[in-house]
Parts: sequence; C-alpha cells; structure tokens
Amino acid sequence: MLGRGHAEHLIPMIARLPHQGRADRIAVSLGPGSFTGVRIGLAAARALALAWGADVIGYPTLALIAAMARNEAGDQPVTVVMTGGHGEWFLQNFDAFGEPDAPLASLRPQDASNTANATLVAGSQAEALCALRKKGHALPLLPDARQFPLLAEGVLVPEPAPLYGRPPDAKIPD
Amino acid sequence: MALILGIESSCDETAAALVTSEREILAQRIASQDDAHRPYGGVVPEIAARAHAERLAPLIQATLADAGRSLDDVDAIAATAGPGLIGGVMVGLVTGKALAMAGNKPLIAVNHLEGHALSPRLADPALQFPYALLLVSGGHCQILRVEGVGQYRRLATTIDDALGEAFDKTAKILGLGYPGGPKVEKLAATGDAKAVRLPRPLLGSSEPHFSFAGLKSAVLRAKESGDHRDQDIAASFQEAAIDCVIDRLKHSLPELEGATALVVAGGVAANQAMRGALEQFAETNGMPFTAPPLQLCTDNAAMIAWAGAERHADGQSDPLDFTARPRWPLDPNAEPARGAGVKA
Repeated sequence: MLGRGHAEHLIPMIARLPHQGRADRIAVSLGPGSFTGVRIGLAAARALALAWGADVIGYPTLALIAAMARNEAGDQPVTVVMTGGHGEWFLQNFDAFGEPDAPLASLRPQDASNTANATLVAGSQAEALCALRKKGHALPLLPDARQFPLLAEGVLVPEPAPLYGRPPDAKIPD
Repeated sequence: MALILGIESSCDETAAALVTSEREILAQRIASQDDAHRPYGGVVPEIAARAHAERLAPLIQATLADAGRSLDDVDAIAATAGPGLIGGVMVGLVTGKALAMAGNKPLIAVNHLEGHALSPRLADPALQFPYALLLVSGGHCQILRVEGVGQYRRLATTIDDALGEAFDKTAKILGLGYPGGPKVEKLAATGDAKAVRLPRPLLGSSEPHFSFAGLKSAVLRAKESGDHRDQDIAASFQEAAIDCVIDRLKHSLPELEGATALVVAGGVAANQAMRGALEQFAETNGMPFTAPPLQLCTDNAAMIAWAGAERHADGQSDPLDFTARPRWPLDPNAEPARGAGVKA
C-alpha cells in the first residue's frame, strides 16, 4: 500500500512482472480513494490496453473489499467503510450475495454509522465504525489487487470510469 | 527519421501529437476544456485532472489513427512532466510511462516550458541557437536566452502575475468571460488606447523583471469608476502591457548580444498587437523576428513531441519512475526574483 508515489512506482512495478505484465485483460480499481491515485491507475490501465490491444475492465474498490470480507468470514451481508475526504467516510452495504444494496455514499462518521446495516464491517474505517455503533464485527481490510478473482462478474465495469465518490470542491462563484 | 508521440496535459488542454524529427506534424489533436471551466471563471485543477483522465487515451488513439500509424511505428514517447497543474500532469506522464514501458520505447519527460522554448525550431528549420525568447502565457512571463537544447538563461521573470493572467483577469473585470485573452484583444481593437491612464509597472526599473498586478488593479479601478468605455479600458490595458514588455526587452538587450533572432512563444504570442510591437522592436534592433504559427503558441502536444525529438536526437531519455514536477524552472541557476516565488 502506498500513501503517495503511485505515479512514480506503478509502471516500474508492472515492468518487473513476468513479461512486463503483458496481458489480454487489464483489471483496474475504479475507486473511491485518493482522486489522484484513482486517476493514475486508470490512466495507466488505459495506456497499457492501448499498447497491448488488451481489454480494460474496472472494479469498484468497495466491492473488492466486500468480496475479501466474504472470503474471510463467509457469505453474509457486509458493510464496507473506507477513509474518504474532508473527514468523511465512503460507505456501501452489500447483501449476502455480494451485490451492493445502494450506491456508494460519502458520509460523515455519524451518518455512516446510521447507514451501516450489516454486522460484518470491513475496510480501513471498520474498527472506527464498530466503535461508533458499539456493535458489529470489524475486519480492517485494505484493497489487494491479488484478490481480484474473488469478484463476481456482475460487479465488473466493462467501460471503466473513475468512482470519485465526491464532486470536485470548486464552487461556482456568485 | 524518428517519430515521436507527444502528450500534453499540464493545464486545461488535453493534447496528443505525432511529430517527426524532420519537423513534420503527422497528426495532432487538442481537446479543450473551456466549457467545463467557464462557469468558474478560471481553470479548476480537479475538474481539469478529471477531464484529462477521461479524454487522454481515446485522444492518443485518434491521433495515431489520423496519421495512419500504430504505436509500433513510434520511436519515443514524450510527455509533459511539469510545470503545471500536477493532477493533470500526472495523468499525462503516467500515460506516457505506460505506453513507453508496454512498447519498449524510451520515455522523454518534457519540461512544458522547454516545449514552448523549442517550438520556434519546429516551425522554422533555419532558426539557430542562441536566440532570444519572450515566453508569455497564462502561467509564465519570461525573457530567456536559449543557448541550446536544455541550456537556458533566464534574464527576466514576473514578480507577480503572468502576462496571460493579466489578460484573463482584465477579461474577467470587463465581464468578457473565460478564457479572456483573445476577447480583450478583440475589444481593444475598437477602443482608444489613450483614453484611460494606466500604470506601466517597473517601466525603466533597474531590475530586469515584469510586474502586472498593479496594472490589473488599475484596470479594476478604471472599470469601477464608471468613467470609461470597456473598449477603451481594454485598448489602454493592452497598450500598457505591450509598453511593459518592450521596455523589459530593451533592458535585457545587453544580455541578448549575439542572439540570432527574437522569438515569441506562449499563448499571448497569439495577440496580433503584441506581435506587431515585437516585430518593430526586433527590426529597430537589427534582429530577425519569428513567432511560431498560432496553433503552436497556445498549449499543444506538437511542441512537446518536438522537444522530445530534439532530446531524442541528443540521445536523452528519462526513467519510468520520473517524478512529475509542479514547479520546474528552465534555468535552475537563475537568481530568484523578488516576490516571484512560484513563478520563477
């Protein structure tokens, strides 16, 4: 996991894979996460696809965490909660089949606590959310691209676009 | 002959171009984001970065298709690596790195300012080093002595606003909308340049630099006074700005000894009144004057590809972990100008 430095490390990391990572299908995380990080991943995937004549598919980061949680704790509903921007958390509830219950939301912690509906909670803010709700089972998981095969085909996005989860901060002047 | 793919994404234009070492632009595409930024009255970095991410890969594909080439035909990938809005720069640079890695081609991380500085050589094969360069855009305002590829001496810079920024702010004050430079020029053509008394900051000053903040404030006061017609304010502003540029060039003349030509580049080089004044100044001082065609003056990828071609011919390339640079002076040895901070 990198806090910063995706733009420097990502391509050299791929270059060190067998056959320089050459593939027919490239899966890329769509976010949400750091706006810049999401863009770097997607820009790299699209450029590699262009060079290799490969397909690009995207996957929502929270769906990957949900799949990782279900893999670890068994098939059951799971709430995924990750650090967002401006003190908010990205939250999404998934049902027992790994399908999202509702669209992704960026919420203040208290609103996130009220929106979370599963006993099993996964993600970077899982422990904080369980502490706030005073219940639940926390799995503090971070997204891991190696776990991609756990994802159901249904959550994959064939024409990937970033899931920023928040609009840009700019306000139209009066 | 080498074929270079250029990528530009440092401000609000997403651009790709294919240029040969023989100065032929095989194809180039520019996707402007003006519509996305107009409601905000200026470029919003996060909106720009999102738009670059969305548009760049299809734009490159279309540019290759326009030229009837594939990535296999390309000899090197040149991408802007700064200076500029870092979110957009990173999208372009990582795209360039991925194409270079996947295609086993050299990456050339181009300084956007070097793109502007060398663009006159793309348009004019006869232009020899050293030459005098006036670089005037929305982000920069400098006088440079261009000694060779990668060799620049910065003689003057702005201590506050860039010249293009002053045009855009004047446009905003006059309610002309964004981007405003060309609109100020158009309005100025119908006005009286002597009608409004405006200051010429640093005119005759012993330091070599530019300053436009005071001029912009005077434009605001002139507008708020309600005493002047907008076209007269625009014309008077444009004349004051040109007077400042010519005065500063005069100040730098001793340092420009031996220059083969005076060259203007950057978005403000599209201003015809400015070109006319520069041409006259050059003639008076016995220098040829040259300006790249308008499409090479504003931000574009052909100039990035060309800077890549010049560096490629010189055997240069950059590593895949090259860090994008929001600030990247062409002349790292230039003395910092008073107050210039980020624009040095």
